[in-house]
Amino acid sequence: MSNPSGAPRVRRFLLALLCLGGIHYAAPWPGPQAALNTFLVLGLAPGFTSPLAGMAWAAAGGWVLEGTLRLYPHLGGTAFANMLACLLAFSLVLRWPPHSLKPYWGRQAALVLIHTLLIHASVSFAAGPHAWGTGWLWSLVLIPAWATLALRLHPPLHRK
Amino acid sequence: MAVLLLGHLLWMALGRGGSSRWQHLANLLATPPRAASARWEGWKASRRERVTSLRDATTELLQLRAQVTGLLTAREAEAPRVAEADEAIRLLGLKRLMPLAFRAARVIVNVRKAPFGGMILDQGADAGLVPDQGVIAPEGVVGRLWDVGATQASLLPLDAYNASTGVMLARSRATGVLQGLGPGKAAIRYIGNQEVVQVGEPVFTSGLDRVFPRGLLVGYVSAVAPHDVELHVEVVLAAPLDRVGLVLILPAHPQMEIQPPAGPPVDAPGKQAGK
Repeated sequence: MSNPSGAPRVRRFLLALLCLGGIHYAAPWPGPQAALNTFLVLGLAPGFTSPLAGMAWAAAGGWVLEGTLRLYPHLGGTAFANMLACLLAFSLVLRWPPHSLKPYWGRQAALVLIHTLLIHASVSFAAGPHAWGTGWLWSLVLIPAWATLALRLHPPLHRK
Repeated sequence: MAVLLLGHLLWMALGRGGSSRWQHLANLLATPPRAASARWEGWKASRRERVTSLRDATTELLQLRAQVTGLLTAREAEAPRVAEADEAIRLLGLKRLMPLAFRAARVIVNVRKAPFGGMILDQGADAGLVPDQGVIAPEGVVGRLWDVGATQASLLPLDAYNASTGVMLARSRATGVLQGLGPGKAAIRYIGNQEVVQVGEPVFTSGLDRVFPRGLLVGYVSAVAPHDVELHVEVVLAAPLDRVGLVLILPAHPQMEIQPPAGPPVDAPGKQAGK
């Protein structure tokens, strides 16, 4: 007997893998790279049925991003913030499953801001002072693109 | 999940202190993928640079030859300007050393070796020039203005047969008159037999002719021979008259002695102590 949720899960897995590759290859453009990371953490990872899988993907995104940036003396801050943000997004999706686009955009915008603050707090803790950059702005501006993609093309699997 | 979170938190906390061992371990773990990535990038670079066909190689060679030819042509075209710029830099250095109101001029014609030839400068009476102003180059004295036109002036070089310049020898301080002997050479007259003159001795202007101030380098003694009651002293001129392009014109009737410019100001001892 075939599992009806198998195909979307594989699609999500492949999309997350593509996203990781995108983060790696977008290293020369930190703005789009940050937007890709946000898409992975807040758009794709909370859609996995297991929060552990989502957190693992979010952590992987953080490690790849910091590894390609080669800016911080000690890595791990972004991965930690990604996991926390993913956990928060996952609990929000579970508690209040999204039904329409505009409120989902608003929620994602708030999550982007929280995610940004978390990243900077944890990177400051792990690596010390650092530049803020404009990645968060890219993530905010591109919400209509990546949040719509996350909701319409790949709705969270646990949202019935 | 908790292990994942706590592990990251612990890793971040370790990074704040002495985590060199962890970083060393991480570097060690990253070595194989780094090596693989380097090999991969190297392979990509070599594939990009590999010549795939003889025709491509020939085309590239032709392009490179054209580029080299263009660069050589450009260098040849720029060479006179570069040489003149070098000369101008040396003239500026000389100008800073001597506290006189110089006027710079360019030698536009140099037919010094032709009969009744000379050198023509691009400055004339419009620039306030008058005959008998001294002309020098960074290497030494060149000559004096002979005839001044409206916009140009002719220069009588030191080695012209009718040129006379007051000079003195560096060691004996004996003074005489330098007369031209032909291209690049001149002789000093009126040096007495009793003077001791050595070959290689520098010859400076004496300042007695009121054309040049005292102490400008004229040349070096190349031969000494007794000649009746005086010494026949031949001099090789210091200034390269064949290839001089830019010259400085001294003011008319300069002072006999030139005071060297003042050195850099020295702070008073009290001021230094107060620092």
